[in-house]
Amino acid sequence: MLHVKKADIVIIGGGAAGAMAAIHARRANPALKVVILDKSRIETSGGAGRGMDAINTIPLPPYSDPEDFVEMQTKITEGILDQEVSYVYGERCPRLVQELEEITGRAKGDLFPVDERGNYQLRYVQAVNKPMMLYMDGGDLKRSLAKAVHATGAEVYDRTPVLKIFAGDGRVVGVLGFNIRTGEYLFIAAKAVCLTAGPAGRMGLANSGYLSNTYEFPGNSGDGYTLAYEAGAELVNMECYQALTMLKDFQGPACGYVAGTRGAKSTNRVGEGIGTHAYPSGDTRLATWRTFAEGKGPIYLHTDRLPEEVIRIIEHIQFGTERTGRYLFHKGRKQDYRQPKCLELAFAEEIGACGGHSSSGVNGNRRGETNIPGLFVAGDVDAGLPFSFLGGALAMGGLIGEEAARYAAEADWAGGNPRSRAREEIRDFEAPLRRKQGLPAHLVEFKARTRLQYYLKPPKNPEYHRIAVWWMERIRREDLPEIKAENYHDLLKAYEIRSILLVGEMMARASLFREESRWGYQHWRVDFPEKQREWDGAWVVVRKGEKGMELGKKKVPPYRRNFPTSMEYSYPKLSFDLGVLFQKAPHYQNPMGDPWTKARMEKRGRAGRKEGG
Amino acid sequence: MKTPKKKTAESPYSWLEVDRKKCSRCSLCVEMCPMDVLRMGEEKVPCMRYPDDCWYCDVCVSICPKKAITLKGLPYLIR
Repeated sequence: MLHVKKADIVIIGGGAAGAMAAIHARRANPALKVVILDKSRIETSGGAGRGMDAINTIPLPPYSDPEDFVEMQTKITEGILDQEVSYVYGERCPRLVQELEEITGRAKGDLFPVDERGNYQLRYVQAVNKPMMLYMDGGDLKRSLAKAVHATGAEVYDRTPVLKIFAGDGRVVGVLGFNIRTGEYLFIAAKAVCLTAGPAGRMGLANSGYLSNTYEFPGNSGDGYTLAYEAGAELVNMECYQALTMLKDFQGPACGYVAGTRGAKSTNRVGEGIGTHAYPSGDTRLATWRTFAEGKGPIYLHTDRLPEEVIRIIEHIQFGTERTGRYLFHKGRKQDYRQPKCLELAFAEEIGACGGHSSSGVNGNRRGETNIPGLFVAGDVDAGLPFSFLGGALAMGGLIGEEAARYAAEADWAGGNPRSRAREEIRDFEAPLRRKQGLPAHLVEFKARTRLQYYLKPPKNPEYHRIAVWWMERIRREDLPEIKAENYHDLLKAYEIRSILLVGEMMARASLFREESRWGYQHWRVDFPEKQREWDGAWVVVRKGEKGMELGKKKVPPYRRNFPTSMEYSYPKLSFDLGVLFQKAPHYQNPMGDPWTKARMEKRGRAGRKEGG
Repeated sequence: MKTPKKKTAESPYSWLEVDRKKCSRCSLCVEMCPMDVLRMGEEKVPCMRYPDDCWYCDVCVSICPKKAITLKGLPYLIR
């Protein structure tokens, strides 16, 4: 059944960014009707669903300011950024901290630590020598945000992923959602749409082979990227891959931030430190790759050398927020943080795309606007504020709520009747349910993600990237029309594979288009192993064209300040001495052809390739 | 040969344990599981219907008002 509704603002995804967008939109203009559609439940959805223990990147006075933040961002993005967005974020941070205390009902010093002078206590973790990391006792952050959303009067539709953003006459028109519990469809005509649907966090498959063994919340399968692309939005930095150092097999944070900022050190097998900072920028990733390439893996995070008091703090955090299954993970392996080599780390086991942990996504500007009027973007699907983690999602989520409210108050309702287009979408979407038999969705997903991981993993080999595109096209053409869904839950899985394939193709094509190397490991092309001046200050833009995916080059907006745009690293020269594996020996030359088999084939009268084998 | 058990919503492969005496059948865990893994099963007690989608986030355990849920372990492939 298709229900039709109207809302001034529709928010796609009720994670940290979406929840803040709803709160700020309603606060900015209580007369507006604001609707959130979430694939999951807004109380527990997204990367912060189970809780968060820190805001990794937040400049706060008197210890750091927006200038410090922009300097850091300019450095780690190597100049590929819109500095204005970073300034806006930096300026909103002091207010954000107070607002989170209000939303959670926690006193100053309770949610975030303060020092003896009453200032928020920051830690060092970034690639600049300024403290910008703020610890947080945020186990229930999402529950508090959800409560605040409901209190504003915003309408919430849980378990309702969005299948399509409709755009027409150069602006957004509405969205189509589907309730995976009831099977009902919802078309909402909207003046403004806030896209806060998270990263593409289910791309390359980790070595365990478990489909939900993801660093990102696995519900974030890149739908936001696909929705934006299909609506005509521009995406940038799709070639800047997310490649992280993870707790091996758990695929959770390596806890470099939790343990590392409390005194723990990580080293490789021979005791060497890796990188100069814990920030997930290209230089540290390159150093990590190198240590494994040299046969010096694994990397261990050493907690056993810490005082008992600190170990207990780390356990309290790791087993109490984010993904507390970590306790069971270690218990099952009879591991204890007091033992040496308890925390084995792995690197780049799942290649993905994310705005907050990398810089890939929809190109949002300082107001969160995209190239489509009425479509705003924030959080991990947004490339406008790279490497900005939870803080970026919360602050910019709030900002786009305000901007969307301003836009919606002035905009008229779009004309036209997209219902017939909605029915077409529904027909395609439901096809797997109507088939009598076919491929299970999880098999197709496994195939796509293993191929992506194998062919996309840097160092980037252009031929492998072309093969990746071939695989995505082939699976789309041959396998998607064969998927059989048994129920609505399966149907969503089948739908998500479309996003995985499309984002994988964007990543591969953007990587081929940018004929240079940049961001250390994240875009290291073996055939162009240096940074090229002509790519300074330029994005690769991906968009949907009339004949398919189009790529282009676009200059980033002029910098307000000329901070350094480089990091200290150089690409390894891949010239290993591989030794001599086989002695040179004369080989017998076999004659071309095989008269014996040919004679047998002719005797049987079955010539031809079919029998030839 | 054993008689096959009556078919239920529960996957035979599960690492969720529910204390049936403590569980109030409120279904909060089913509503809050972010990956839609859980359903109400036999005796209206929650069970894992889609275990392969579990992100081992532990929300079900932490959110249960009766403390009736424990996870026995993690998904087999990552244990």
